[in-house]
Amino acid sequence: MPHDEKSLPPPLLQCLETVYRLGSQEGSAPLHAVSRKLELTTAVVGQQASALQSAGFLETSSHGRVRLTEEGTRIAVGLVRKHRLLERFLMEELELPWEEVHELACRLTPLLSHHVADRLAKLLGDPTTCPHGNPIPSADGALRRDSAIPLDRFKPGMAGTIVRIEPEEGDLLRYLAVLGLIPQARLEVGEVAPFGGPVLIRLGRAEYALGRDVASKIFVKET
Amino acid sequence: MVSSCHAEVGRWKERLALTFALAGNPNVGKSSIFNRLTGMGVLTANYPGKTVAVNLGTTHFKGQEIGIVDLPGTYAIGAVSEDQWVARQALLESHPDAVLVVLDATRLERNLYLSLQLLDLGLPVVIALNLVDEAWRSGLQIDHQRMGRLLGVPVVPTVALRGQGLDRLVQAGLEAARMEGARPTKRRYGKDVEDAVAEIGDLLAKEGMALPHALPPRAAALLLLEEDEELLAWTGALPDGERILAKVRECAADVGARHGEPASLRIARERHGLAGAIASQVQQLTSRPSRVQDRLWRLTTSPLSGYLLLALTVTGLFGFLFSVGNLLSDLLASLWQAYPSPVIQAFVQLAFGEGVASRTILWVVDGGMNAALSIGVPYVLVFYFMLSLLEDTGYLNSIAFLTDPIMHRLGLHGRAAIPLIAGGGCNVPAILGLRVLTTMRERIIAGTLICLTPCSARTAVIAGAVSKYVGWKPAVLIYVITACIAFFAAWGLNRLLPGRSAGLVMEMFPFRRPSLAKMLRGTWSRFRDFLFVAAPALLAGSLVLGLIYETGLLWIFTAPLAPIVEGWLGLPSVAGLTLIFAVLRKELALQLLVTLAVAKYGSGVADLIQFMDKGQLFTYVLVNTLYIPCVATVAVLSKELGWRRALLISAFTILLALAAGGVARQVLAVWTL
Repeated sequence: MPHDEKSLPPPLLQCLETVYRLGSQEGSAPLHAVSRKLELTTAVVGQQASALQSAGFLETSSHGRVRLTEEGTRIAVGLVRKHRLLERFLMEELELPWEEVHELACRLTPLLSHHVADRLAKLLGDPTTCPHGNPIPSADGALRRDSAIPLDRFKPGMAGTIVRIEPEEGDLLRYLAVLGLIPQARLEVGEVAPFGGPVLIRLGRAEYALGRDVASKIFVKET
Repeated sequence: MVSSCHAEVGRWKERLALTFALAGNPNVGKSSIFNRLTGMGVLTANYPGKTVAVNLGTTHFKGQEIGIVDLPGTYAIGAVSEDQWVARQALLESHPDAVLVVLDATRLERNLYLSLQLLDLGLPVVIALNLVDEAWRSGLQIDHQRMGRLLGVPVVPTVALRGQGLDRLVQAGLEAARMEGARPTKRRYGKDVEDAVAEIGDLLAKEGMALPHALPPRAAALLLLEEDEELLAWTGALPDGERILAKVRECAADVGARHGEPASLRIARERHGLAGAIASQVQQLTSRPSRVQDRLWRLTTSPLSGYLLLALTVTGLFGFLFSVGNLLSDLLASLWQAYPSPVIQAFVQLAFGEGVASRTILWVVDGGMNAALSIGVPYVLVFYFMLSLLEDTGYLNSIAFLTDPIMHRLGLHGRAAIPLIAGGGCNVPAILGLRVLTTMRERIIAGTLICLTPCSARTAVIAGAVSKYVGWKPAVLIYVITACIAFFAAWGLNRLLPGRSAGLVMEMFPFRRPSLAKMLRGTWSRFRDFLFVAAPALLAGSLVLGLIYETGLLWIFTAPLAPIVEGWLGLPSVAGLTLIFAVLRKELALQLLVTLAVAKYGSGVADLIQFMDKGQLFTYVLVNTLYIPCVATVAVLSKELGWRRALLISAFTILLALAAGGVARQVLAVWTL
């Protein structure tokens, strides 16, 4: 019997949201990646996953991967919506610096009800993207998907346009911006090193090596 | 010379009528220009707690003395990384009369970003369009006059490596400095941004306060919109500060709402856009660039050939080091024994007679010098030459790219490969170079790895003892053992320490044609430090060891070491004493051993095999390679990571060395070399 999201404590909600974000491309996410993202041990995340599983929001698939159930996805999309609306609110209305809003929104998201989120969306004029360029799902849970995929999945020789950059540490965002790695910038992939090595990209006449973890935060639409 | 505080820049500037700042992206030939212009008498100024240094030098031009402040190479002036912060502070605090911005003509778009940022600060900019020869070779023609008109500043084409265009550059700098006050601040961004800048600028101008670093109001307004921390703090402290800051936030939110991205990002975007527009207007591709160089470089990063080439390069370099080093070592040692040595011996005996004093002095002036020439000089010199070669061709970049996956397993990223390789030269600058890593976690892991990386001094011992007397295979084995131990130590630390590592973002440069002159200069500047620090340490160590040996006090010092050195490691206990002396400089271990041999068997012999057998030499060198690097390394380690961590790492390496040495002895008892 599935529970309601109100019965879930904030850490479990964060875990749910993370599984959703990490699994958004392939449908499922490896547990160790979830634990790394949340900066928790695999043991703790394992417990959270089994709690979510017994609540009917999550199921385990092969090789230590987890997948959200339909109910779990519905809740997670709602959380993503609240998160991104909060980011927008914190930046535009409270005028907080760009780099700080992701972290703050993380902490506030579990506390926000759907009702407040709808009012927030209205106040902000129903925005479609968060300040970092990520799409905000609508109230009915539909995610306006784009065809952007993370840069680390590109093959050598492919080219594309940056659509958005996942909000992470602010310093990384600023550093990338100085180099010209900003939404709408066009890049080519020159080389992808094996064994999880870096991705070599060409931007104008300059070339950069980006570690896989950095590349996975840059979403690019192939052109 | 290093000064502790930045007041140094102020004092240094005081006696100079004119100063220029030298700015530019990394790897554009900025230091070549600085070296060409300044020559001797360069000072280094450090900010407290920062390791990125600012070089200060002077140049003489048409009877005038001009000070040159060499800023660290950065992509922008800001606070994101330490080099950006230092460049920003030094630039604004030194109030230069002109800023010479060095651009890489082959990568104009990205390079122009910094130039535009400096122009936005209202600084008198002169552009040095460097590497025009390389641009030309890659089929790129740049209309520098048009570029000058578009930017409103003089643009001088240069080839820094050959010193071409530098006179005209300094001349243009002088003219720019003379035009003080006549610089118009141009509107160059979109209407929204410029309106916001004008609004904030007017507000600041109305305050009537002198702005920090004498910035024009437009520059200060832009910095506020870009969320510059120093300016935000300064404005906040004004009597009317809150109101101005509220206005800044309002303007920023306005720009943000219109463009759907924060104002700071919007400004960066428009600056990139402008840089791209200027670049495309002034450059013309006249011929298809030769793809040979490009393809060659691709080979070094593509998976299959890349690792193969890396393996070949490493093998080749070590082969070169061992063979050329051995050759040089033999040559210098035989030259020393043939000519100066007999003369010195005769002279010392003539002056001091036959007693303890004369023999002790001979330890220093004969044995010590012999050791320096046969070990320190040949191997360290060859190693530094190889390091300069890797650096100058740009192959270090490819190494960082290829090693990123391995580094990742250790909780590091590819950029850590560069300090690690530098650690193969000397651990001290390598540890200072740890600042390229952003978290303390990465620094601890990389710091431990560097301490376990055989530096040139330890390589000299490996080459001079093991490869020379035991064979090249055991010498390689020592590297393999050390590499395995280092790998597992870092891997374990990565498991133990909380947190995770940051990602790699690194600019890649294609191969550059290496310049022999530049490589020799690089080799010499590293080797000079080695000479002035290492040679005195060696001579002092020889003196002390000679004194206790000749006076017969040696046993007092060696007796307490005996249980460990003789009992556990199976080495003569006097060898343990040299290992302790080697804390001063690692190559002292072998040099003092040779000095001991010379004292015991006479100058002509100098053969270590008479002293220890092959197995003992192997164990001795293994222990020397693994236990704490020299005192200088421990000192910088404690400066960078704190003394507690430095001591922990040191203690860890001593235990590791003793354990590995003991195991090696047991294994070698069964399986002889």
